[in-house]
Amino acid sequence: MSSTIRRRRDGRYVIRLDANTRIVLADLARQLPAAIASRDPMVRRLFPPAYPTPELAGAERDYRELVDTALVNHHTQALEVLVATARAETLSGSEFHSWLDAIGSLRLVLGTRLDVHEDMGVPDPEDPMAAEYALFVFLGELQYLMVEALADDLPDEGRPEGDL
Amino acid sequence: MKSRPLRRRGGGAVGTSSTNDGPAVGVAPPETVPLGDLGTVLDEEVTTDKPWLVIVWNDPINLMSYVTYVLQKLFGYSKDKATALMLDVHHKGRAVVSSGTRERAELDVYRLHEHGLWATMEQST
Repeated sequence: MSSTIRRRRDGRYVIRLDANTRIVLADLARQLPAAIASRDPMVRRLFPPAYPTPELAGAERDYRELVDTALVNHHTQALEVLVATARAETLSGSEFHSWLDAIGSLRLVLGTRLDVHEDMGVPDPEDPMAAEYALFVFLGELQYLMVEALADDLPDEGRPEGDL
Repeated sequence: MKSRPLRRRGGGAVGTSSTNDGPAVGVAPPETVPLGDLGTVLDEEVTTDKPWLVIVWNDPINLMSYVTYVLQKLFGYSKDKATALMLDVHHKGRAVVSSGTRERAELDVYRLHEHGLWATMEQST
């Protein structure tokens, strides 16, 4: 799978996926914005609390008021880009980052539905969740390959340490 | 990507979910602060110069390589440093990934939330 996703010299990203996979990705991405807009409990992982303790409930309310619209827009736009470019053989850097975001959102929602945990085994093929779990694993492989393709762009030096 | 979404008292829909299902951090309010008026509590906290810590929590969904990538991208950390922080998250359950003023910490938390990481903030004790 190493050549499934790569960055070209001109800065565009090549994504090799078969047509059916692209249809599945677009279908999933098309469904999620409505779930986000209606605050389906399954999308809760996209909106983690900033201030998780009861003592700071007021601060948490302020934080939600401040960012929720921006967070919804951010995730929704990324999903829309994935839908719009699902058939594209190559992606611009910006489109590629939208894919990464959208696939991350899909994984968080699927992982919530599947109640994924660290020591989880692969479900039995008879399990009604088996197909969804396979999809979750596939999206993880895709995310992994996308991150690999991006990792080369990052500086290896980092900023001077001292803030922590 | 929106560059500066964090403007206090800006508009926006009020969230109705996921305010109380975070991991328990065990932070107690400063002893001297009277209970009852959270707004006052927060104002007093802001006037202290104790830094706010931005914490990333372990979650079973995000890939380790993705978490490392996000820490490099958002904070400019080297691969080694980002990997060490990610491993702390993985093995110890959480890691402090940045610290600073409350505004700075809130912006960092927001950027981590944009990237799907489970991030919270608390004031250093």
